[in-house]
Amino acid sequence: MSITSDILRGHTEAIILSHLLEHDSYGYQINKDIMKKTNNAYELKEATLYSAFRRLEQAGCIRTYWGDETVGARRRYYSITEKGRKAYADYKREWQEAREIIDQLLN
Amino acid sequence: MKEKIIQHFNEIFRDAPKTRKALDLKQEMMQNAMDKYDDMVAEGYLEEDAYHNVINSIGDVTDLFSETEEKNLLTLPEEDRKKRAMLNAVAVGLYIFAATVFFFFGSMGNNYWGYNFASFGFVIALLICIAPTVMLVYAANMYPDYSKKEKSDMVDAYKATKYSKNKELAVKKSIYSVIWSLTLVLYFIISFLTFEWRYTWILFLIAACLQAIVKLIFDLKNVEKDDVL
Repeated sequence: MSITSDILRGHTEAIILSHLLEHDSYGYQINKDIMKKTNNAYELKEATLYSAFRRLEQAGCIRTYWGDETVGARRRYYSITEKGRKAYADYKREWQEAREIIDQLLN
Repeated sequence: MKEKIIQHFNEIFRDAPKTRKALDLKQEMMQNAMDKYDDMVAEGYLEEDAYHNVINSIGDVTDLFSETEEKNLLTLPEEDRKKRAMLNAVAVGLYIFAATVFFFFGSMGNNYWGYNFASFGFVIALLICIAPTVMLVYAANMYPDYSKKEKSDMVDAYKATKYSKNKELAVKKSIYSVIWSLTLVLYFIISFLTFEWRYTWILFLIAACLQAIVKLIFDLKNVEKDDVL
């Protein structure tokens, strides 16, 4: 249980990028998707999520814009950049390698 | 209950830096918390439970603040650091050169050809000292040019003004040090040439006036700038 949440936290940025690959999104929606995909078992702490957003933004992997909701307050959307796509591909390859190694070592 | 959520955010963002970025972050997190609260209530959770769940899922936000804080203006980028080190090194070298000149003329003794070489050397040494003093003052007041990579917003405008103020201060201080060094040198030259020590001290009063005038010019320039803004 704790290993899973640790690993999840360690991969927050990749998880965000993976969600943004499908469509632009905002913080809560991404967290909702994570919950849905993990059968309500996991969600990211907001502080974790938003610091990951800031880091990705600074690295130029994502862009942000305010939505133009007509009802209620405006939401802040994020979209992935070309650099973000590349970073995600690299990350995914590295993760696969790491997973194979750990699987081998834990046999 | 929504009021309580807003209150909670006001509370946790109380110590956040007062920047546009921090404000945006608060706005964003608050909106998402509201969405979550609405969803939970719609799913049938009690308002109280939904509230606690929302608050618990926020986590520790203090780490986020450090990222929204502005870059420390006092840390110089690599290039400026090199420039500054160079200025300091050259300045120290010039001081040593000035001292050498002073001792050289001093060692020639007094009244070689009817001139006072020791005082002549002293004046020359002081003249040489002007350059390194200006360099040191400038180096001490050097600040990095604010990078314009980010999109311009309020924070950037604020940083830019701060930077221009710093630069202005450096120029102002350099001018002051030139005024005073020149005054000292002129004082000794005129005094030794005329031996009118009774009157030459007036030069310092003139220098003080000059400094006041320079300050006035800078202040007036700032007032004009503020008017434009």
